[in-house]
Amino acid sequence: MVVVGLASCFGCQINLTNAEAHLMDILSQVDVEYWQLTSSDPMPEDFDIAVIEGAVTTKEAAETVKALRGIADTVITIGACANTGGIPGLAAEGAGYEERIAAVYGATVPAACGTMVAPSAVGEHIAVDYEVACCPVEPLDFARVLQHALYGSNVQQLTATLCGECKRNERGCFYEDGTLCLGLVTRCGCGARCPSLGRPCKGCAGLSADANLKGARAISAGCGIPTGRFEEVLRIFNHGEGGGDSTEARSEREG
Amino acid sequence: MLYRVIDGSELPLLVEAFLERYEVIAPVQTKKGYAFAPVDSFDQVALDYPSTVSSLKKYYLPQRETLFRFDAETNEVLDLEVEVRPRVLFGAHACDINAINCLNSVFEDARYPDPYYEAHRRSMLVVGISCTPTSECFCQLMDADEARSGYDLFLQDIGGRYLVSMNSVEAANILETACNPRVATDEDRRAFRQATRRRQESFNPAIPDIQEIPMLMDAFHSDAFWDELGERCLSCTACSAVCPTCHCFDIRDVLDPDGRIGERERVWDACTSPQFATVTGGHNFRPTGRERVRHRMYHKLNGFLATHDRNLCVGCGRCVRACKANISPIEVLRFFEKKGAEDAE
Repeated sequence: MVVVGLASCFGCQINLTNAEAHLMDILSQVDVEYWQLTSSDPMPEDFDIAVIEGAVTTKEAAETVKALRGIADTVITIGACANTGGIPGLAAEGAGYEERIAAVYGATVPAACGTMVAPSAVGEHIAVDYEVACCPVEPLDFARVLQHALYGSNVQQLTATLCGECKRNERGCFYEDGTLCLGLVTRCGCGARCPSLGRPCKGCAGLSADANLKGARAISAGCGIPTGRFEEVLRIFNHGEGGGDSTEARSEREG
Repeated sequence: MLYRVIDGSELPLLVEAFLERYEVIAPVQTKKGYAFAPVDSFDQVALDYPSTVSSLKKYYLPQRETLFRFDAETNEVLDLEVEVRPRVLFGAHACDINAINCLNSVFEDARYPDPYYEAHRRSMLVVGISCTPTSECFCQLMDADEARSGYDLFLQDIGGRYLVSMNSVEAANILETACNPRVATDEDRRAFRQATRRRQESFNPAIPDIQEIPMLMDAFHSDAFWDELGERCLSCTACSAVCPTCHCFDIRDVLDPDGRIGERERVWDACTSPQFATVTGGHNFRPTGRERVRHRMYHKLNGFLATHDRNLCVGCGRCVRACKANISPIEVLRFFEKKGAEDAE
């Protein structure tokens, strides 16, 4: 297995190492051949599993993920940046990408930046076999996905949205006090962790393939939330053409 | 059935007597509502709670339950010791007792005995309590406003005192030891009738009383109404999470972090979950919200009645509050009312 970091805060990789009690249990099921965060050993020529954190923000990164796909049997993306474009993806929002780059770097982009392109999800460049959701990922979720890749699994990947998990936690609802929460359209699986800690969902797990954006917008507006606020929050992890956004959901949004 | 009367001031004694031998589950106030949770004293019990976000089914059918553990390397089943705590469910409303009766008729079907469910049920005493309907309650329309069975004690508030229906020796013995139950007088019986009438008159009159619901469900099976509900559905499964009678589950194998030992677990599933009716090969029998919402309403208002002779909806109103898209059996009743009015024109 190799672990590769693209444009991201590296928080997902760090969080994997936070599973201290289980880290050796998890990693003993594979040979970790390359992980820049933990070792300076170079990337081997051959491997079976590529784990990718981060969004594609340069032509070089796009080449890297294509090369990884060419070698690995299994590609696992971890975290919102890799799955949906995440926070780096915000820079690609709308038509202002070039101006944003100019605002940061001026007329000349330093060579060290590489050949910058509008940030995008790994899934927009190559086929991804498994995604570990959220910002950051939960290490035990990673373990489950890795095991799924290694041994197979009868656990279904669900596209139900988050509110059901919130109700399983026996919580009230943010919309009762007119607070926007993206649980209405975000795919389930995290156990509605943020709402259970008193924070509304921002959608870091990605839009559900069955997200009903039209219905959710109507609910948000009906609760007195200003039009535009819904889109503004949605953009944080699920920008315009980002990955993790189904074709139906996308055409729905555009329509 | 035996009836006795106890004073309101004796209730704490009853709860304390239960606490000596059982884990007591009761309605408690939470940040934004009420929930059933373990208590350690009578003070924590919110006796006059309107309803709870979620129901009592979690004590019969936990959200996640380990069925057994297995060795993934040798493929052998390992023993699992199931420890079930003796519990008292204190303060169940009539609708929720009727909901448990629905679950019992599914999981205690002699053809498909479920040892896990039975272990929970056998360890449980149920103490019901009378209530005042909320504006979302329609249990009377679902024939679930009275608990005729399924409880050990039922406490009917008759003003400062309780008329207690006693349905089990175990609970009656505890009641008699803890309190001083007396024989009901004519005045108690009068107070009971008045309390019952008050409750019956408190239901929200805006929720239509529709006759022949199961027949209407069949008659309007292809109506555009279901497209409308389906387009609103968010596919979140909140409805079935809070429903006291939704009992569908999935079974899956989950490995420990080291991949050596695994657990076969049962988790709640829901027919409003998009993958629910997906079968091997990938075909989904209910691919859109329209089919999923309709299926759920059919099971609640039609299908279950045919096989179990009772409604699977008990009119508790929880899904009415939980659904952000305003999809609930009440909307179905309103649709039938509208159709009836159109026909009359």
